[in-house]
Amino acid sequence: MKQSSIKTRFTYGFLRTLKRLPKTRAKSSSFSPEEISKRCRIIKLATDASMASAVGPRRAWSRALIRRVRSQRRQRQRQWLVMRRTRRGERKKGGKEVGGGGQTDSLRKLVPGGETMELCTLLGETAHYIKCLTTQVQVMRNIVDLFSN
Amino acid sequence: MGSEDTANMRSSTGGENFFGSGWDPIVSMNQSESFGSEFGNSPYSSVILGNQTIPSSSHLVHYPSDSSHGLVEMVPKFPFFGSESFSEMVGSFALPDCAQIVPTEKTSTADDQQVSEEGKMGISPCGNRKKEGIRVQFSIQSHEGKNQREISGDSSEYTKEQDEKKQKIELNVGANLRGKQTGKQGKDNSNSGEAPKENYIHMRAKRGQATNSHSLAERVRRERISERMRLLQELVPGCNKITGKAVMLDEIINYVQSLQQQVEFLSMKLATVNPELNIDLDRILSKEILQSQSNSAAIPGFVPGMSSSHPYPLGIPHGALPSIPSTSPYHSMPQNLWDNELQSLLQMGFDPNPAISNLAPNGRSKLEL
Repeated sequence: MKQSSIKTRFTYGFLRTLKRLPKTRAKSSSFSPEEISKRCRIIKLATDASMASAVGPRRAWSRALIRRVRSQRRQRQRQWLVMRRTRRGERKKGGKEVGGGGQTDSLRKLVPGGETMELCTLLGETAHYIKCLTTQVQVMRNIVDLFSN
Repeated sequence: MGSEDTANMRSSTGGENFFGSGWDPIVSMNQSESFGSEFGNSPYSSVILGNQTIPSSSHLVHYPSDSSHGLVEMVPKFPFFGSESFSEMVGSFALPDCAQIVPTEKTSTADDQQVSEEGKMGISPCGNRKKEGIRVQFSIQSHEGKNQREISGDSSEYTKEQDEKKQKIELNVGANLRGKQTGKQGKDNSNSGEAPKENYIHMRAKRGQATNSHSLAERVRRERISERMRLLQELVPGCNKITGKAVMLDEIINYVQSLQQQVEFLSMKLATVNPELNIDLDRILSKEILQSQSNSAAIPGFVPGMSSSHPYPLGIPHGALPSIPSTSPYHSMPQNLWDNELQSLLQMGFDPNPAISNLAPNGRSKLEL
């Protein structure tokens, strides 16, 4: 087996969560938009969670992603509670602005947990996030190919 | 550069309020860093040094023209500085920057010493005016190695005097800047020292937005930021020729957005596919997935499933597989606590029945997930 890397960890975790997915009972039901959208949500959650777990807590964005996934889960499970997504941010807009306009802000919105970071850490987190996203896309593409063959 | 400017500033007629229009030319001369509106907020500056009215505003106005002068030229002008104005200027600039250097309370004594040495340049010729300003100024410059060399060359002829005044200024400035200082005293000092190399006044002027940012820390931060921008440039495809943070940031944002959209698209696709996995297949698939190399590049398009070469058909007999401890790499890497949490998270997220029944008192059905 390959050495453990983010890719392998993500793959394993993702596949395990996919396995746990409720299998579509009948062909017809799997194509209902509700079911598909539900599964889509679950799968998106799975990608986030497995990627974040593969990365571990050593990155701010993975920690923020875990928080978001959990809050999302709670959000769904407790409809009677109004819980907003954890974007605790805007406490601190970060230090100096490098980019003109709202570039920094839009980047903060993209990277999980980026609202409260300084620009310096934001860029570092963005780099790691991009690396992990590309890995994720790669693995998911392979999975899709395998399943659709 | 920086020292020039300050020298020029001093020599010109003085007003106390250089914060006003005076700084504008300086600011414009400086880099694109936004100095913020803090320049005008140095009330302490006038108070600190006291009474000497040194032409400050007018200095500033002349600044741009004087900037062309070399450092050497500036040196002889130091004697003319009213230390007050100087210190004022220093103070105003130093709000974020000098603060670190100046305040005795916070700065390291070593740095202070350095500063005082460096800063003594203009003191003696000034005739024991408020050299603190000069001293402070130089202190800013001195910390960076290069700056020190530059300045020390000029300042070598100056004698060190008036430690008291220095301390006075330091205290004064420190008191004013106290609120704005960060803990990075030593670094700040060095940073501030470096700034004068480029543009003495500029360094001062740069206060940054955060109240506790100092020139030293600012410089370090800026370098770190540019370093990371370079890293990102390598990560994002097609950004080798882009120079400029704004364009680069745009590219990065687009790339991250496209990646996220790809993930979404792929997950949607996965949702439509009916995964019929069993445990063994899981291992096979992981192996295949990990070994597929074709999809390394994330294409901004939504190209569905660039089918890579699948060396192993799905029908591989299970026995042929090496026993892959599929969970071992997964478990061993993260910390136990983290892993457990995520495990539970995943389990709860994807086993709607047990999860929901556990979490929600309502005992929702699956569909309500």
